[in-house]
Amino acid sequence: MIRIRHEGCILCAGCASVCPTGALELVGNRIEYYPEKCIKCGACVKVCPASVVTLEK
Amino acid sequence: MKPDYDVIVIGGGPAGSTFARYAAQSGMDVLVIDKRKEIGVPVRCGEGLGLREVAAQDIEIPKRAISTDIYGARVVAPNGKEIVWKEEGLTTGWVLERKVFDKWLCELAIDKGAEVRTYVRALDLIRENGKISGVKVARWGKDEEEIGAPLVVSAEGMEARIAKKAGFDTVHRLYDVDTCYQYEMKPYDHQNLIELYFGNRIAPRGYVWIFPKSDRRANVGIGIGGNLTDWDKNGIPGADPKKLLDEFIANHPQLKESSTLDDFGGVISVGAPLNEFVRDNFMVIGTAGKQVDPIHGGGIALAMEAGLLAAKVALDAKGRGYTRDSLLEYERKWKESAGRKVAKRLLLRKAVEKLSDDDLNHIFNSITQNDLNSVMAGNFAGPVAKVVAGRPQLLKMLSALTS
Repeated sequence: MIRIRHEGCILCAGCASVCPTGALELVGNRIEYYPEKCIKCGACVKVCPASVVTLEK
Repeated sequence: MKPDYDVIVIGGGPAGSTFARYAAQSGMDVLVIDKRKEIGVPVRCGEGLGLREVAAQDIEIPKRAISTDIYGARVVAPNGKEIVWKEEGLTTGWVLERKVFDKWLCELAIDKGAEVRTYVRALDLIRENGKISGVKVARWGKDEEEIGAPLVVSAEGMEARIAKKAGFDTVHRLYDVDTCYQYEMKPYDHQNLIELYFGNRIAPRGYVWIFPKSDRRANVGIGIGGNLTDWDKNGIPGADPKKLLDEFIANHPQLKESSTLDDFGGVISVGAPLNEFVRDNFMVIGTAGKQVDPIHGGGIALAMEAGLLAAKVALDAKGRGYTRDSLLEYERKWKESAGRKVAKRLLLRKAVEKLSDDDLNHIFNSITQNDLNSVMAGNFAGPVAKVVAGRPQLLKMLSALTS
């Protein structure tokens, strides 16, 4: 599981652009997360320029 | 299904709007859909655009879309040594107001007869007997809808979800992206120069930029390698551009007193373009195809160039059912022209990112403004020879540039 602190999100969708499985998507004014697609690779966490994405064990 | 349009363009940024403008003015029935509520918003960009880069477009950018004329660049080494590159009295580019620019470019397409719908998200491709025949979309708060067209163009930008569904390798590897953060700041008094600060402490595998804007404003941003792992981000290592940018600003004599008007950021592509841009009934243009400058991550000019090229080929392909073969001319031409430039810039990026701060200082001490002009024009041999004369150990690293 990843967690997104939406109130700090700047909606750049950088996480979605590096997500290899399409588990993240910018929909309107919010990043949507589809946990069933997530492989917990952490790419989104590494690139998030606003540091609002975290990986939960 | 019955086609509603000749072509559906996904994304109303510079690539999509340029494609739509040319296709519509040539008589094609064009629909542009954009998932955003408003074309051009939010801005995820440093907003710089070179003058030469849009010369082929045959359009004049209106004053309201230009924030400031740029006369050149000031490039600063880790030790503070700077080189100013400028063509005296000449405008070499602009810093745009992207919100205004993107909307204007989209309006041009509408003026030529294209239809544009905002707040419409492409969900998936429609296929009939395996052949793409339209796009399934969702309008916010409304039911899903199917729109038919024999040609679909992905101008989706970084995310490129539909291009991925069409089979293109649109996922970005961490090594091939920069993660960026930027403030719009005021006041900042400037001399109409773009400023770039290099150094592995300031911005590892990247740089800090100051792009001046009108009314004493500036875009102050940073881009660093997306694969960097020197920071602890909530228990896992990752790059933290905001932290580094805040440090830069705190140490900058003018900016440390300035206010912020906007926070934005994003992830930019600095790797190689896709190997292919067309399939049967499908084209990819602009950043969706990773058609981005690998040095600065700029995509506007390349997007517009590809949009125009792709639209010209699409027009000819109309009578041939938009098969891959009939669209391939776009891919071939792009690789021959823009693709070659991008490949050279990628070599340069990969050479520069290996340099230590000491190497960077040496280079800045060895070269002049004229050498920088050559490098900007893509001629590396002379400047590289000078640099290597004083530090032969750099030969191996930089030799790829001159071959």
